[in-house]
Amino acid sequence: MAREVFVGTRKGLFFIRDGELSGPELTGWTIFHAIRDPRDGALYVASNNWVYGGVVHRSTDDGKTWERSEKIEVEGHDMGEVWHVEPGHESEPSTLFLGAAPGLLLRSDDSGTTWSAVDGLVSHPTRERWEAGAGGMCCHSVQIDPGSPQRMLAGISAAGAFRTADGGETWTAVNSNVAADFLPEKYPEVGQCVHKLLLHPAKPERLWQQNHCGVYRSDDFGDTWERLDGNGLPSSFGFPIMLDRSDPDVAYVIPEEGAENRVTSNGRLGVYRTTDAGASWQLFSDGLPEPAWTVVLREASSFDDRGPVFGTQSGSVWALDGASWQELARELPPVLSVEVT
Amino acid sequence: MARVKLPSILAREAGGQREFETDAATLADALAALPIADLIFDGTGGLRRLVNVYVDGRDARTDLDVPLAQDAEVTVVAAVAGGATSPSSGCS
Repeated sequence: MAREVFVGTRKGLFFIRDGELSGPELTGWTIFHAIRDPRDGALYVASNNWVYGGVVHRSTDDGKTWERSEKIEVEGHDMGEVWHVEPGHESEPSTLFLGAAPGLLLRSDDSGTTWSAVDGLVSHPTRERWEAGAGGMCCHSVQIDPGSPQRMLAGISAAGAFRTADGGETWTAVNSNVAADFLPEKYPEVGQCVHKLLLHPAKPERLWQQNHCGVYRSDDFGDTWERLDGNGLPSSFGFPIMLDRSDPDVAYVIPEEGAENRVTSNGRLGVYRTTDAGASWQLFSDGLPEPAWTVVLREASSFDDRGPVFGTQSGSVWALDGASWQELARELPPVLSVEVT
Repeated sequence: MARVKLPSILAREAGGQREFETDAATLADALAALPIADLIFDGTGGLRRLVNVYVDGRDARTDLDVPLAQDAEVTVVAAVAGGATSPSSGCS
């Protein structure tokens, strides 16, 4: 099956199809996220423009033509950027979720034409304790249990991780043992700066998150978290995290120097891999440039059956090919998002 | 008929049409009838902060209720902001 990589950049959307680069599409738009809906093949794009705001674009012809969502508004909130489109559960073929700022989760039940707030999260009783991170108060991670559309997770920076078991009606903060070193209370109920939150598609009770303050794994769908970054990682700080579909114990992170120096650690583009569920990490960067001082943003990584793929602010896209990384594209505008199918 | 001209991004969002004719009585009505009205108005009914509108070369951003003459030329323009990006755009 042909492999497609969707590369959202500061200057439009690019495609890499079987190694062939095409685009840009949606020029003039800053592409925070683009994804193909596995249920019907439609493309969805979280597009932002500094004059015209945020919209969701949809294409049903592989990006040849695009339609735009109706105006996205949430009563009581000044709508910010749209960050992440997540296709819903396979049993709800017209449903999608949209993470946005400030701290907004929206739902569409008409294939992305109209969007409405998921009030149970947007009006969560802890909201007054949420803060905006450097990227704004963005809802960037939306994960749905493949076994049940009722069970979902959302990650908001800097509010933390939240879980629902009733399809989004009610949400529980799931940040136990997750640090918030930038707050007076180091382990609060909410306020954590989750940078990226993933569940393993074959073992959905297993969650991973790269946080502002560490890398974490949960084996109970967020009830408890174990911190993992003391065993081989050069830094606890970073944004992307990538998984291995065939092995829930494998994960990849790309540490940065730290919150005050947001660039890849040790003057190299260093990917670190664990094969033992985070008990240890090893540098796994064969093929990647050194020296290098670059940045991989929270949405700029993905994975499929063939392995992880990520893009840099320097405009390169890298894919793991066996045991080494190959550059699929270079000299693109700064890469904001990567998805692969 | 009055004419409304759009910049290129808005024209693409309008299906590739760069210019529209209108017999709307006011500038506000003419803009609201555009297929890209959602992109130029904010949630309060005013123009988004960086959207400018000129009628026959005159700044009409704060005068949306102005009547439109039959031969008026309306131009929608993105404010000059030097290509600056929001501090948060795509940010970490």
